[in-house]
Amino acid sequence: MTIFGRSKGFMGGIMVVDLSAHTIERQTVSPKVYRTFLSGMGLAAHVLYHRIPEGADPLGPDNMLGFVSGLLTGTGSLFTGRWMVTAKSPLTGGWGEANCGGQFSPAIKRCGVDGIFFAGTSPKPVYLYVDDTTAQLRDAGGIWGMDTVETETFLIAQHPGARVACIGPAGERLSLMAGVSTDQGRMAARSGLGAVMGAKRLKAVVLAGKKRIPVHNKEAMKNISRVCNKWVQFQPPFLPGFLTGPVGALLRIMPWAITQDGLLYKILLKKWGTVSMNQMSVEMGDAPVQNWKGSNRNWGFFKSLSANPDRLTKKEIRKYHCYSCPLGCGGICRTNGKYAHTHKPEYETVLSFGGFVLNRDVDTIFAVNETLNRAGMDTISAGHAVAFAMECFEKKIITRKDTAGMALEWGNPDAVTWLVAQMVNRQGIGHILADGVARAAARLDNGAKKFAFHAGGQELAMHDGRNDPGFVLHYSVEPAPGRHTNGAWLYYEMYQLWKKVNTAPRMPLVYAKARRYETGPDKAAIGSANSRFLNVLNGCGVCQFGAFLGIHRIRIFDWLNAATGWHMTPDEYMDAGTRIQTLKQAFNIKHGIQPKNCIVKGRPAGDPPMNHGANKGRRVDIDTLAADYWAAFGWDRKTGHPSEQQIAAVTAIS
Amino acid sequence: MSFFITTDCTGCTACKAICPTHAIVGKKKHRHRIEDKACINCGACGRVCPAIAVANPFGTIVTKIPRKEWLRPLFDLGLCMACHICIETCPVNALDAALQTVQDLHPYPMLARENDCMACGFCAAECPVDAVTLEKRQG
Repeated sequence: MTIFGRSKGFMGGIMVVDLSAHTIERQTVSPKVYRTFLSGMGLAAHVLYHRIPEGADPLGPDNMLGFVSGLLTGTGSLFTGRWMVTAKSPLTGGWGEANCGGQFSPAIKRCGVDGIFFAGTSPKPVYLYVDDTTAQLRDAGGIWGMDTVETETFLIAQHPGARVACIGPAGERLSLMAGVSTDQGRMAARSGLGAVMGAKRLKAVVLAGKKRIPVHNKEAMKNISRVCNKWVQFQPPFLPGFLTGPVGALLRIMPWAITQDGLLYKILLKKWGTVSMNQMSVEMGDAPVQNWKGSNRNWGFFKSLSANPDRLTKKEIRKYHCYSCPLGCGGICRTNGKYAHTHKPEYETVLSFGGFVLNRDVDTIFAVNETLNRAGMDTISAGHAVAFAMECFEKKIITRKDTAGMALEWGNPDAVTWLVAQMVNRQGIGHILADGVARAAARLDNGAKKFAFHAGGQELAMHDGRNDPGFVLHYSVEPAPGRHTNGAWLYYEMYQLWKKVNTAPRMPLVYAKARRYETGPDKAAIGSANSRFLNVLNGCGVCQFGAFLGIHRIRIFDWLNAATGWHMTPDEYMDAGTRIQTLKQAFNIKHGIQPKNCIVKGRPAGDPPMNHGANKGRRVDIDTLAADYWAAFGWDRKTGHPSEQQIAAVTAIS
Repeated sequence: MSFFITTDCTGCTACKAICPTHAIVGKKKHRHRIEDKACINCGACGRVCPAIAVANPFGTIVTKIPRKEWLRPLFDLGLCMACHICIETCPVNALDAALQTVQDLHPYPMLARENDCMACGFCAAECPVDAVTLEKRQG
């Protein structure tokens, strides 16, 4: 096995698997690339920009699919168990990325590489098996058709101790909502990358390497981790779950906003997980309701009470945590159905199949969550597709003839379950919906486009830009649009970057809510700082929930220097984030994506403004926000294109 | 700086036999020597030396301890994040990971080969969240 130089923190190379030629090659990556783009998503952007030819079919052999780990993964740092899947997205036609936890991230590095990239298309189903001595493509004919849990269980029985990432039937059937699953239901769900894996006939990646991950200064790593862990373990008693709704209502009523400290969010996450935000988000206007046309008035306190965090966590048997996570926001729950246990549905899933379709039945949400996890399908996109279908049914664009008699009425749990099954199996109306709302609207026509809300083809997440315009900005301008993890004003407040990064603007302790809707250089600086920092996080494999602790509590930049032996300043790391962002934007330009076409229009941007509820009368000047954001990167204000010199500077690195 | 062997050494080879990195050289019945470059400061040599002839890097003589009294790692699974750094860091590969309850999705670390453990404490020292402590062997 190749040992790549004397790198610290990173392994120094990648594995390239050609599925057409059935060849596997380990390739060295220059340390300069790591210093310029870090590892993880930055490394993937560097590899994919150069290796995916212009105009490549996302589901064809020219597309390349990458599984990458983070620079800090396995170095003794905390919250660094994220791995990422990247490719040209079949959903958006541009840069595609999805991010996931579990135990798969260190498994990549323990195989001696920072990323595994797949080119070509296999003529028959295969899976990749890698350990310390072998790397082989093996026949997956016997497991093709199995769901994600069955696949993983089967492969771990074959290869004890291995970690598995796989697709389910959704990916095999090339649904553009398909994701890649690990740990029996953790999903790298977005951008439709499961379909890329399915098109390549790659069922799974099985990693059983035992290589050590080199670290420059272990003692410094531990000292920084110890401080971080003290903050994580700080857990005072908190309100009961049913009071989270009234807290949200209070936040809604207040005319001013307090800059959020992520420590509070950490307390919520540790107690309940992401479902802690269910009712609070609805009440304060953060959660979209009824396909973006409703509000907390349609989905009031007593209706959303069924999804209050105490009720959901009542089914929790035990906490679930990802690799190197001392927090454990996940949970394993018992179910009433045929399966012994299931992952606790996340906030996005509960809201997608709760308030977004006006469904009060929590058991349906648990069942749909497990169905989609097993099928390997994105719950955010699937929830949008269900809501879209329900609104089309309401407007008579879809009729009972199309649904075999099923009434797709708002809040009908049977309709939700039925539609999800149809999408997973690609039957009837589900066949149209399984490729996302943008394509479904185009196929249905008849005015359906007005009810399909997406950014560049990707469905938006369960955070309302009318409450926090940062969400709608980042849905619109990011190279992988429509993702809630990209950024928001709230995220910036919690990162508290100004405590370490000189160029990051400081937030006041208290400010008038109206200031959120202002545009200008300050907002552009906040937006660009969000994107740049997220690129650093994704380069390092850091979980965003960890980063919400605040940069002075989770000292990522210090960890980076201790792990690698570099002596870079926080601002220099943020510059790496800028380079990654430019490279991803250049990827989109290369593949014919016009950034301005991804700008979110209609209801999610407050057009027309709502006449009731928490976001009444709010409108986001998204065109100005986007132009300012692009200008903050030095890109063209009108088109969002980086200059030729900027592109040349990031593409010349090798 | 590493451990070193004093003139009291009788050349019994006990330290040489237990050293996990083969850092100790010397002929039988002659004074042994620890090679700085190879020594990982686990201290096992001192704990087995019947002549009490091993000093730690600070010059303090290490006392011989009967092997059954050596401390063993104890894992607090409430704190453990299953990062497996303890397993990676163990110089004698005494730790392993296993599913410890039916609902576990992660294999958690455990002392799989107790007789191999040298009580070096590296697992406890490296654990990022202090979930490993060294305790006396039970029973």
